[in-house]
Amino acid sequence: MPAKPFDLGDLHFDKKGDAVDYLNTMLHKYDVGDKVSAEDAKVLMAALARHPEGDEKIGSGVAGFSVRTADFNTKCFWVNRTDGSTMKFAHRACVYGKVRPG
Amino acid sequence: MSLEELTKWLVNEGIKDDVAVLTRRTVRTELDHLEPEPAEDPDIDWHRLLFAGSILARSEIRQHQEIALRIATGAVTLADSQPVKDAGAVLLDKLSNFRAVALANNRELLETDLEGRLGLGLRMEAQRRKLDHSVLMESSGNWLQVNDFQQRFWDSATKNTWLSASAPTASGKTFLVLQWLINHMRSAETRVSVYLAPTRALVSEIETNLTLLLGRGAEIEVSSLPLREKYDAAYEGGNKLILVFTQERLHLLANVLGDDVHVDLLVVDEAHKIGDNQRGVILQDAIERLERTNPNLKAVFISPATQNPEELLADAPSAADVDFVDSDSPTVIQNLIVAEQVPRKPKRWKLSIRQGVISEQIGVLELSSSPGTLSKKLAFIAAAVGERGGTLVYANRAGDAEDIADLISQLIPPVDGTDKELVELADLAKKGVHPNFSLASLVLKGVAFHYGNMPSLIRQEVERLFRSGKIRFLVCTSTLIEGVNLSCRTIVVRGPRKGIGHPMEPHDFWNLAGRAGRWGNEFQGNIVCIDPDDTTAWPNGVPIRSRYPIKRESDAVLETGDGMADYLERRADTPLSELPDVGQFEQVGAYLLATYLRLGSIEQAGFAKRHNPATIAKIDAQLAALADTIEIGSNIAERHPGVSALGLQSLLNAFRNYQKDVENLIPAPVESQDSYDRFVTIMRRINEHLYPAFMPDSLIPLYVVIVVQWLKGLSLAAMIRKNIEYHHTHGRSYVLPTLIRQTMELVEQVARFRAPKYLSAYMDILHLHLREIGREDLIDDYLDIGTQLEFGVSTRTLLSLMELGLSRMSAVSLYEKIARDDLTKEGCMQWALERDAQFETMDIPAIIIREIREKLLADDKDSQDTLSS
Repeated sequence: MPAKPFDLGDLHFDKKGDAVDYLNTMLHKYDVGDKVSAEDAKVLMAALARHPEGDEKIGSGVAGFSVRTADFNTKCFWVNRTDGSTMKFAHRACVYGKVRPG
Repeated sequence: MSLEELTKWLVNEGIKDDVAVLTRRTVRTELDHLEPEPAEDPDIDWHRLLFAGSILARSEIRQHQEIALRIATGAVTLADSQPVKDAGAVLLDKLSNFRAVALANNRELLETDLEGRLGLGLRMEAQRRKLDHSVLMESSGNWLQVNDFQQRFWDSATKNTWLSASAPTASGKTFLVLQWLINHMRSAETRVSVYLAPTRALVSEIETNLTLLLGRGAEIEVSSLPLREKYDAAYEGGNKLILVFTQERLHLLANVLGDDVHVDLLVVDEAHKIGDNQRGVILQDAIERLERTNPNLKAVFISPATQNPEELLADAPSAADVDFVDSDSPTVIQNLIVAEQVPRKPKRWKLSIRQGVISEQIGVLELSSSPGTLSKKLAFIAAAVGERGGTLVYANRAGDAEDIADLISQLIPPVDGTDKELVELADLAKKGVHPNFSLASLVLKGVAFHYGNMPSLIRQEVERLFRSGKIRFLVCTSTLIEGVNLSCRTIVVRGPRKGIGHPMEPHDFWNLAGRAGRWGNEFQGNIVCIDPDDTTAWPNGVPIRSRYPIKRESDAVLETGDGMADYLERRADTPLSELPDVGQFEQVGAYLLATYLRLGSIEQAGFAKRHNPATIAKIDAQLAALADTIEIGSNIAERHPGVSALGLQSLLNAFRNYQKDVENLIPAPVESQDSYDRFVTIMRRINEHLYPAFMPDSLIPLYVVIVVQWLKGLSLAAMIRKNIEYHHTHGRSYVLPTLIRQTMELVEQVARFRAPKYLSAYMDILHLHLREIGREDLIDDYLDIGTQLEFGVSTRTLLSLMELGLSRMSAVSLYEKIARDDLTKEGCMQWALERDAQFETMDIPAIIIREIREKLLADDKDSQDTLSS
């Protein structure tokens, strides 16, 4: 099956795997505890909109993004909401449209 | 025959056998559960012995004074006839041992009006001695009776600018120094004094004692918080101030005050610890820092039996009048007893007293059960020999201390367990640590354990009740030789170690053993050493009496010759994690580099004169090369003793090269959700650039959890509870006592020691960077992170409670009930006043309520007392 192209905001990827690689690179550029830059936040905003549980993750609205600790001593993106609450999300799920990519 | 020859003859021949008989008899009265023996000892010829004792009392040699003291004590406690007892008391008086005479009177061993029974000559002599051995408290007009050492200390401390005093444990050093300090503060122009003690345990003990001695409404404040408010007040006409600090806390205060720091008088307790690995140089730096800002600083150093107290005066300003006072006189008889198992009879132990190389059998101890393990040996022998109480047992590890205490509690006769003070302590242990913390059930039986990482409120209450006799057995670890003033009647040891694995040095052993004998409360103290010939327990045998050699950590490292220069050369371009000797050299290296940055060469520094010029020149060359790479000023290096300027510079470079948003470098407030993650990354940065302080990397998440909880003001009990929950939710097994101890250790070693040291350096460099890039807007000047961590507070209310003098345990306990986080001291006192009647209904331990009432409601209570009287 030919690879399907995939867009995140203004960014165009030839295949989904490239989008995941791009987000992976972005994630690892940050240390845990860092706030994500405004530029990267635009990409993550587009990504989160495609998350299967996007509405729930966005909740009251997005104030920004952070990189923080995930389970098993790894890190992931977290959405910081306008009401002060915060929730982590898996960037792969934004690309593959599934919470657990198969 | 000269006096010297006479005393020698007396000791070696003349009264040798009589003294042996006397020794055996006096020691047997001290030990419980000895097998009865037929009274076959011949009668003691008291007249002969007392005459010999009065000759020996004039000798300067410790052994002679010991014999004189034993004769005097024996006459007072064993003899039947009043004239012999009287003569014993006169001999004690000749030894200036007034406290022992007072004890004999208290125990009604002497009939009243001793002086009336003495002849005119003796009476006049006694009067003269009393006058000679009194010092005038100028501030109050009262006379204080002192022994020879105390007398010399008082005179010399008053006359000289720098004084170093050394005397064995139980010479009444601390008591006297505190008296002298208060008298000096009252009568001299001194506004601010600093009393340095090596541990937080000793700091809180000294603070408590000073506050008690000063009494309510004193015109001198005592504080252990490194905050400027009281300091400023002292120089602006307010109350004078005594600050009681560890060396680290002194640096915190000096950082707050900057160049303004001006201290008139510095007292350094346990001053021999200037030789401690890693913290010795921080102490040296603290002393020098105060000396730089006040060249007229008055300094008093106190150390236990040391060989060379004068060493501490080497760096005094050249214009200062210096002196040292040294004493080796015994105040209480100390019996060194060895316990060896009778062959094939594990329940029977032969006890002998050792005096030098001579060993004299005292009797046989019968145990109730066979001791199968090492812990059981200690526990069974201690429980038997020291049943009457005042018994201290030395354990090598905190875990062992808990086990041994538990074993002892099973062997001793039961007490009814309803004593109010013991019940309150048990309650505090349950609520302050954990409902199943074993200390709670043990103290009800009159047994306790004691180690350094324990919360100070609990530890101090344990010590207090051990002193008062309600706790009869106390099992302790090396915290006791690190500086807690606690004496006992009997101490039981087997193969003592200091820290993990190192056999105790003879001077450390004798610092511990010296606690046997409560001067003024007991005539004798006993040190029981188990298995003296077991080379695993005692690789070098039971140590012979010895005194500390004082050697600064910095001098010891510099004496390694090229070691330091070599280290500095490698330090320039080797990652810290790859330097094997970082523990030995980094702290002193940091000190040398900071000195170099300040002076431009270490050849001008005070310590240089003590070392080989070639070594100094070589180190100077290495330092010059390092200094070329350093842009931060010497003032910043000075603020962080023990943290290398190289590390500080490396961190600054990392900040300058940081590509992302600079806000990411700032710690998030602990209430913020990303606080945990920020600290994780900050600890990693510290490990990489400053010093590998938070290792291994895999434990950083744990360290951060503890630091964040501590800053949030969580109680120790809550932290332990959360740790248990964590183990439950992650399906991990745990052993409760171990988990409790580990949590305590993490709080003390990480949250209160390493984190403040390195995080405050991190923040300082970050602020420097933020100023460089014009982002002062990001600097929050609230309260230095080092101070926040040292005390485990991050809110105004908690800090106010601690400023009022509450221990953290009490402050946190009260804070759980206070809604507002921004209360001032006055606000806290008002809050407490409004609820005074309700404290008992708030489920707060009684000991905490007592502290709250003492510290927050004192004036109120005073006025009520006045009204009712």
